[in-house]
Amino acid sequence: MNAISIANLTKRYGTTLAVDDVSFEIAEGSVCGLLGPNGAGKSTTMRCLLGLIRRTSGQLAIGGKPIVAETFESVAYVPDSNALYCWMTIAQHIEVTRRSYRNFDRLRLNELIAMFALDPRKKVGALSKGQQTAVALALAFSINPRVLVLDEPSSGLDPIFQRVVLDLIIDASSNGATVLFSSHQIGQVERAADRVVIMRSGKTIVDGEIDRLKSDEKIVEAIFPSDAFSTAHFDADARIRRVERTGRTLRLFVRSDAEAVARDVETLAPRAVQIVDLGLEDIFLGAVGADAITQGVS
Amino acid sequence: MPPIFSVDPRSGIPIYLQLIEQVKRAVALGTLDSGEQLPTVKALALDLTVNPNTVARAYRELERDRVIETSPGRGSFVRADGSPSVVKRAVTDVAASALSDAVRECRSLGCDAPAIRTLLEGALERWFPGENS
Repeated sequence: MNAISIANLTKRYGTTLAVDDVSFEIAEGSVCGLLGPNGAGKSTTMRCLLGLIRRTSGQLAIGGKPIVAETFESVAYVPDSNALYCWMTIAQHIEVTRRSYRNFDRLRLNELIAMFALDPRKKVGALSKGQQTAVALALAFSINPRVLVLDEPSSGLDPIFQRVVLDLIIDASSNGATVLFSSHQIGQVERAADRVVIMRSGKTIVDGEIDRLKSDEKIVEAIFPSDAFSTAHFDADARIRRVERTGRTLRLFVRSDAEAVARDVETLAPRAVQIVDLGLEDIFLGAVGADAITQGVS
Repeated sequence: MPPIFSVDPRSGIPIYLQLIEQVKRAVALGTLDSGEQLPTVKALALDLTVNPNTVARAYRELERDRVIETSPGRGSFVRADGSPSVVKRAVTDVAASALSDAVRECRSLGCDAPAIRTLLEGALERWFPGENS
């Protein structure tokens, strides 16, 4: 069953299309990483999913049902900022969470507070950005949610606490919870997630199982004796995402059938052809395009 | 003490395939004995900091390849029945994939099949001097 289902979601702000006909589903127990350059529509997609902002059109479901008040009994959401009240202490936030959620688990919460080395007596306003994120995460995981929506859950955290967040996600997933999380750190998605959705300019441009993408997405690289070789017929090839030519080198970003593409390239009489395996970062950059680098995506 | 597996999540090789290879290698080398218990999916996922569904998938494929067996409630174990053939299969699988990678590399350098065959003969002569007729 799909724990999260987004169908043809569109969100328009005036004349701006923030989310443009996005559809994806996340199976129960799966962890899906949401990647994309700044402004791609990741946060807006999450907020629409949870009904925090009104969608322009589209169908949304959590646990196979449209989102209603009861949905939030088992859903935890950590926004990218301003999740907490500055004037309240951590202990007061804990009390609000305890009263609001039937599944609140005090022992679990104490564990999480200790794990993140937080002092419950402190006011949220006196905490660093990373500590505030840690409080929001501790509260989110303390209600034993079935579905977690985490918007950049490790922003502001040091590498040790970032690893703690990954452990929390992995632990939740192995207990059957479903997780959707966005991140600018591709390495985190590559570890904790089994699925990835890559967005750009409000659209979904890659959606798949990470291991499946790694099997399918390759670069076919060929070196030719001279730079006079014709690749025009690759431009409209559905198997190829992008064609890159520099001098005598041809690089084809392939979305499937790399071996067949390599055989086609061989008919052009190159000096050598190789198929290069791609990590998620290469797949991300290949799909989003090199111009995303200038927008400061790591 | 079960062997420590390691995977490289950043690699272009799918994590579940890396894990399958690691377990088969451990069985082939004898660091995992027949009948020995593997870590639970959750324990291994947390240990390696990788997605548990990915670990579960590797275990499922290892079961299908008859390298391990899982009994509900007890855990996953290296198959004990007819273990010599399990080990032999693991050796063959790991070796075949290593050789395939080497051939792929030679081919990407522009070598054709006869050239690779000549290279292979040379390599065999180096590692098995006199045995290669």
